[in-house]
Amino acid sequence: MDTKSILNYRGPFYIELISVFGSNIRNLNDPYSNARKKLFKIFIELSQNVSNYSEDFHVVNNIQRIGIGELSLNVSNMHYEFTTKNLVKDADAKILSERCELINASDYLRLRDLKREQRINSPGEKFGARIGLIQAVMLSKNKLDYYTEKFNENFSYFSLTVKIDKH
Amino acid sequence: MENIHITSSPTTPYFPEVDFNAQTGVCELRGESYMEETYKFYLPLLNWLKDYTTKADNKVELNVKLIYLNTTSTKCILDMLEILKTFENNGGKVKVNWFYDKNDPDMVDEVEDFEAESGIKIELHEFVN
Repeated sequence: MDTKSILNYRGPFYIELISVFGSNIRNLNDPYSNARKKLFKIFIELSQNVSNYSEDFHVVNNIQRIGIGELSLNVSNMHYEFTTKNLVKDADAKILSERCELINASDYLRLRDLKREQRINSPGEKFGARIGLIQAVMLSKNKLDYYTEKFNENFSYFSLTVKIDKH
Repeated sequence: MENIHITSSPTTPYFPEVDFNAQTGVCELRGESYMEETYKFYLPLLNWLKDYTTKADNKVELNVKLIYLNTTSTKCILDMLEILKTFENNGGKVKVNWFYDKNDPDMVDEVEDFEAESGIKIELHEFVN
Protein backbone atom coordinates (compact mmCIF):
# COMPACT_ATOMS: atom_id res chain seq x y z
CA MET A 1 0.00 0.00 0.00
CA ASP A 2 1.46 3.39 -1.01
CA THR A 3 1.79 5.86 1.83
CA LYS A 4 2.61 9.47 1.12
CA SER A 5 3.83 12.04 3.61
CA ILE A 6 1.88 15.29 3.18
CA LEU A 7 2.91 17.28 6.24
CA ASN A 8 5.88 17.24 8.61
CA TYR A 9 6.69 19.90 11.17
CA ARG A 10 8.91 20.37 14.17
CA GLY A 11 8.80 23.54 16.28
CA PRO A 12 6.50 25.60 18.46
CA PHE A 13 2.77 24.85 18.07
CA TYR A 14 1.44 28.39 17.72
CA ILE A 15 -2.31 28.62 17.17
CA GLU A 16 -1.78 30.65 13.98
CA LEU A 17 0.26 27.79 12.56
CA ILE A 18 -2.13 25.07 13.72
CA SER A 19 -4.96 27.01 12.13
CA VAL A 20 -3.19 27.29 8.75
CA PHE A 21 -2.26 23.59 8.75
CA GLY A 22 -5.85 22.78 9.73
CA SER A 23 -7.21 24.84 6.88
CA ASN A 24 -4.92 22.99 4.43
CA ILE A 25 -6.20 19.67 5.78
CA ARG A 26 -9.80 20.72 5.28
CA ASN A 27 -8.99 21.66 1.70
CA LEU A 28 -7.09 18.51 0.75
CA ASN A 29 -7.93 17.64 -2.79
CA ASP A 30 -9.69 14.31 -2.32
CA PRO A 31 -13.29 13.13 -2.20
CA TYR A 32 -13.33 11.95 1.44
CA SER A 33 -15.02 14.95 3.05
CA ASN A 34 -16.33 13.08 6.13
CA ALA A 35 -12.91 11.62 6.86
CA ARG A 36 -11.32 15.04 6.37
CA LYS A 37 -13.77 16.57 8.88
CA LYS A 38 -12.74 13.98 11.44
CA LEU A 39 -9.08 14.43 10.58
CA PHE A 40 -9.37 18.20 11.10
CA LYS A 41 -10.96 17.78 14.54
CA ILE A 42 -8.37 15.20 15.63
CA PHE A 43 -5.57 17.34 14.22
CA ILE A 44 -6.66 20.35 16.29
CA GLU A 45 -7.10 18.36 19.51
CA LEU A 46 -3.77 16.55 19.37
CA SER A 47 -1.87 19.62 18.18
CA GLN A 48 -3.30 21.68 21.03
CA ASN A 49 -2.25 18.96 23.47
CA VAL A 50 1.33 19.50 22.29
CA SER A 51 0.90 23.27 22.50
CA ASN A 52 -0.51 23.11 26.04
CA TYR A 53 1.43 20.30 27.65
CA SER A 54 4.83 19.78 26.00
CA GLU A 55 7.66 20.11 28.52
CA ASP A 56 9.76 21.74 25.80
CA PHE A 57 8.25 25.17 25.26
CA HIS A 58 8.64 28.83 24.35
CA VAL A 59 7.43 31.53 26.68
CA VAL A 60 5.69 34.40 24.91
CA ASN A 61 5.44 37.83 26.58
CA ASN A 62 6.72 36.30 29.82
CA ILE A 63 3.35 34.64 30.35
CA GLN A 64 2.08 32.35 27.65
CA ARG A 65 3.66 28.97 27.19
CA ILE A 66 3.71 27.47 23.68
CA GLY A 67 4.69 23.83 23.50
CA ILE A 68 7.29 22.58 21.04
CA GLY A 69 6.90 19.22 19.37
CA GLU A 70 6.58 17.35 16.10
CA LEU A 71 3.70 16.39 13.87
CA SER A 72 3.38 14.33 10.74
CA LEU A 73 0.50 13.50 8.47
CA ASN A 74 0.63 10.56 6.09
CA VAL A 75 -1.98 9.48 3.62
CA SER A 76 -2.62 6.17 1.88
CA ASN A 77 -5.45 4.80 -0.25
CA MET A 78 -7.31 3.62 2.82
CA HIS A 79 -6.63 6.15 5.57
CA TYR A 80 -4.94 9.22 6.99
CA GLU A 81 -2.43 8.75 9.76
CA PHE A 82 -1.69 11.64 12.09
CA THR A 83 1.18 11.59 14.61
CA THR A 84 2.33 14.01 17.29
CA LYS A 85 5.42 13.72 19.46
CA ASN A 86 6.49 15.86 22.39
CA LEU A 87 8.55 15.88 25.53
CA VAL A 88 6.86 14.84 28.79
CA LYS A 89 7.99 14.15 32.35
CA ASP A 90 8.53 10.45 32.95
CA ALA A 91 5.77 10.41 35.56
CA ASP A 92 3.36 11.97 33.03
CA ALA A 93 4.42 9.48 30.34
CA LYS A 94 3.29 6.69 32.64
CA ILE A 95 -0.06 8.40 33.34
CA LEU A 96 -0.58 9.07 29.62
CA SER A 97 0.23 5.47 28.67
CA GLU A 98 -2.24 4.16 31.26
CA ARG A 99 -4.84 6.57 29.98
CA CYS A 100 -4.31 5.43 26.38
CA GLU A 101 -4.55 1.82 27.54
CA LEU A 102 -7.88 2.49 29.27
CA ILE A 103 -9.24 4.31 26.21
CA ASN A 104 -8.14 1.53 23.87
CA ALA A 105 -9.81 -1.06 26.09
CA SER A 106 -13.15 0.80 26.06
CA ASP A 107 -15.95 0.42 23.56
CA TYR A 108 -17.80 3.43 22.09
CA LEU A 109 -20.50 3.57 24.76
CA ARG A 110 -17.97 3.34 27.58
CA LEU A 111 -15.92 6.09 25.93
CA ARG A 112 -18.99 8.28 25.74
CA ASP A 113 -19.61 7.75 29.47
CA LEU A 114 -15.94 8.45 30.22
CA LYS A 115 -16.08 11.63 28.19
CA ARG A 116 -19.17 12.87 30.03
CA GLU A 117 -17.72 12.01 33.46
CA GLN A 118 -14.38 13.59 32.64
CA ARG A 119 -15.83 16.79 31.21
CA ILE A 120 -18.32 17.36 33.98
CA ASN A 121 -15.69 16.73 36.67
CA SER A 122 -12.89 18.71 35.00
CA PRO A 123 -11.93 21.80 37.01
CA GLY A 124 -11.89 23.77 33.73
CA GLU A 125 -9.81 26.94 33.59
CA LYS A 126 -6.24 25.97 32.66
CA PHE A 127 -7.04 22.28 32.56
CA GLY A 128 -9.49 22.26 29.67
CA ALA A 129 -11.87 19.35 29.43
CA ARG A 130 -9.20 16.62 29.39
CA ILE A 131 -11.12 14.63 26.84
CA GLY A 132 -9.07 15.16 23.68
CA LEU A 133 -7.75 11.60 23.50
CA ILE A 134 -11.20 10.11 24.11
CA GLN A 135 -12.59 12.37 21.42
CA ALA A 136 -9.89 11.27 18.96
CA VAL A 137 -10.85 7.60 19.38
CA MET A 138 -14.59 8.29 19.31
CA LEU A 139 -14.17 10.19 16.05
CA SER A 140 -11.74 7.82 14.33
CA LYS A 141 -13.14 4.59 15.81
CA ASN A 142 -9.54 3.34 15.77
CA LYS A 143 -7.26 2.66 18.69
CA LEU A 144 -4.48 5.00 19.77
CA ASP A 145 -1.00 3.90 18.77
CA TYR A 146 1.45 5.27 21.34
CA TYR A 147 4.99 4.81 22.60
CA THR A 148 7.49 6.49 24.86
CA GLU A 149 11.16 6.99 24.15
CA LYS A 150 13.59 7.94 26.91
CA PHE A 151 15.19 11.39 26.42
CA ASN A 152 17.21 11.81 29.62
CA GLU A 153 17.04 10.99 33.33
CA ASN A 154 13.68 12.73 33.90
CA PHE A 155 12.03 13.18 30.53
CA SER A 156 10.75 11.06 27.65
CA TYR A 157 9.23 11.67 24.26
CA PHE A 158 5.60 10.64 24.00
CA SER A 159 4.42 9.77 20.51
CA LEU A 160 0.78 9.32 19.58
CA THR A 161 -0.68 8.20 16.25
CA VAL A 162 -4.32 8.13 15.20
CA LYS A 163 -5.51 6.51 12.02
CA ILE A 164 -8.60 7.89 10.28
CA ASP A 165 -10.23 5.59 7.76
CA LYS A 166 -11.29 7.20 4.50
CA HIS A 167 -14.30 4.90 4.05
CA MET B 1 -26.23 45.82 31.13
CA GLU B 2 -23.95 46.18 28.12
CA ASN B 3 -24.32 44.01 25.05
CA ILE B 4 -21.39 41.87 23.97
CA HIS B 5 -20.48 41.98 20.31
CA ILE B 6 -17.33 40.29 19.02
CA THR B 7 -16.72 40.15 15.29
CA SER B 8 -14.71 37.48 13.54
CA SER B 9 -11.66 37.95 11.36
CA PRO B 10 -10.29 35.76 8.57
CA THR B 11 -6.88 35.92 10.26
CA THR B 12 -8.22 34.52 13.54
CA PRO B 13 -10.80 31.92 12.50
CA TYR B 14 -10.37 30.13 15.83
CA PHE B 15 -12.41 32.83 17.62
CA PRO B 16 -16.19 32.72 17.23
CA GLU B 17 -18.41 35.69 16.52
CA VAL B 18 -20.44 36.62 19.57
CA ASP B 19 -23.64 38.59 20.04
CA PHE B 20 -25.14 38.74 23.53
CA ASN B 21 -28.06 41.16 23.61
CA ALA B 22 -29.16 42.41 27.02
CA GLN B 23 -32.35 44.00 25.62
CA THR B 24 -33.71 40.86 23.94
CA GLY B 25 -31.91 38.08 25.83
CA VAL B 26 -30.85 36.55 22.52
CA CYS B 27 -27.28 35.23 22.73
CA GLU B 28 -25.53 33.87 19.68
CA LEU B 29 -22.20 32.17 18.97
CA ARG B 30 -21.15 31.64 15.35
CA GLY B 31 -18.18 30.20 13.48
CA GLU B 32 -15.48 28.14 15.16
CA SER B 33 -13.96 27.96 18.60
CA TYR B 34 -10.48 26.54 19.18
CA MET B 35 -8.44 29.45 20.50
CA GLU B 36 -5.60 29.34 23.01
CA GLU B 37 -6.50 30.48 26.53
CA THR B 38 -10.09 29.42 26.02
CA TYR B 39 -11.28 30.43 29.49
CA LYS B 40 -9.91 33.93 29.04
CA PHE B 41 -12.22 34.29 26.04
CA TYR B 42 -15.29 32.65 27.60
CA LEU B 43 -15.08 34.06 31.13
CA PRO B 44 -16.68 37.44 30.23
CA LEU B 45 -19.47 35.56 28.43
CA LEU B 46 -20.07 33.31 31.44
CA ASN B 47 -20.08 36.33 33.78
CA TRP B 48 -22.50 38.16 31.48
CA LEU B 49 -24.89 35.21 31.56
CA LYS B 50 -24.62 34.94 35.36
CA ASP B 51 -25.45 38.65 35.72
CA TYR B 52 -28.24 38.56 33.17
CA THR B 53 -29.90 35.55 34.80
CA THR B 54 -30.01 37.12 38.25
CA LYS B 55 -33.26 38.82 37.16
CA ALA B 56 -35.92 36.13 37.17
CA ASP B 57 -38.14 37.92 34.65
CA ASN B 58 -35.43 37.91 32.00
CA LYS B 59 -35.65 35.40 29.15
CA VAL B 60 -32.66 33.81 27.45
CA GLU B 61 -32.43 32.35 23.98
CA LEU B 62 -29.03 30.83 23.26
CA ASN B 63 -28.31 30.10 19.60
CA VAL B 64 -25.18 28.06 18.96
CA LYS B 65 -24.03 28.07 15.34
CA LEU B 66 -20.54 26.66 15.74
CA ILE B 67 -19.34 24.40 12.97
CA TYR B 68 -16.39 23.29 15.07
CA LEU B 69 -15.43 23.62 18.72
CA ASN B 70 -12.51 21.95 20.43
CA THR B 71 -12.96 19.97 23.62
CA THR B 72 -11.79 22.85 25.84
CA SER B 73 -14.48 25.04 24.29
CA THR B 74 -17.05 22.30 24.93
CA LYS B 75 -16.26 22.62 28.65
CA CYS B 76 -17.02 26.36 28.45
CA ILE B 77 -20.26 25.76 26.57
CA LEU B 78 -21.23 23.22 29.24
CA ASP B 79 -20.57 25.89 31.88
CA MET B 80 -22.96 28.21 29.99
CA LEU B 81 -25.63 25.53 29.83
CA GLU B 82 -25.26 24.88 33.57
CA ILE B 83 -25.84 28.60 34.28
CA LEU B 84 -28.95 28.47 32.11
CA LYS B 85 -30.17 25.29 33.83
CA THR B 86 -29.86 26.94 37.24
CA PHE B 87 -31.81 29.93 35.88
CA GLU B 88 -34.50 27.61 34.52
CA ASN B 89 -34.73 25.75 37.83
CA ASN B 90 -35.35 29.11 39.49
CA GLY B 91 -38.26 29.89 37.17
CA GLY B 92 -36.43 31.62 34.31
CA LYS B 93 -37.40 31.05 30.68
CA VAL B 94 -34.68 29.45 28.58
CA LYS B 95 -34.49 28.28 24.99
CA VAL B 96 -31.36 26.70 23.52
CA ASN B 97 -31.07 26.17 19.76
CA TRP B 98 -28.14 24.30 18.25
CA PHE B 99 -27.54 24.63 14.53
CA TYR B 100 -25.51 21.89 12.87
CA ASP B 101 -24.30 20.77 9.48
CA LYS B 102 -26.26 17.69 8.42
CA ASN B 103 -23.05 16.27 6.97
CA ASP B 104 -21.46 16.28 10.41
CA PRO B 105 -23.26 13.58 12.40
CA ASP B 106 -20.67 13.72 15.21
CA MET B 107 -22.11 17.09 16.23
CA VAL B 108 -25.51 15.52 16.94
CA ASP B 109 -23.86 13.12 19.44
CA GLU B 110 -22.09 16.08 21.00
CA VAL B 111 -25.38 17.90 21.52
CA GLU B 112 -26.94 14.79 23.08
CA ASP B 113 -24.02 14.71 25.51
CA PHE B 114 -24.55 18.38 26.38
CA GLU B 115 -28.21 17.66 27.11
CA ALA B 116 -27.34 14.71 29.32
CA GLU B 117 -24.60 16.59 31.20
CA SER B 118 -26.45 19.87 31.74
CA GLY B 119 -30.02 18.58 32.00
CA ILE B 120 -31.23 21.32 29.67
CA LYS B 121 -33.33 20.76 26.55
CA ILE B 122 -31.51 21.64 23.31
CA GLU B 123 -33.37 21.97 20.02
CA LEU B 124 -31.41 20.81 17.01
CA HIS B 125 -31.71 22.60 13.68
CA GLU B 126 -29.94 21.96 10.41
CA PHE B 127 -28.01 24.87 8.96
CA VAL B 128 -29.84 26.36 6.01
CA ASN B 129 -27.41 27.59 3.37
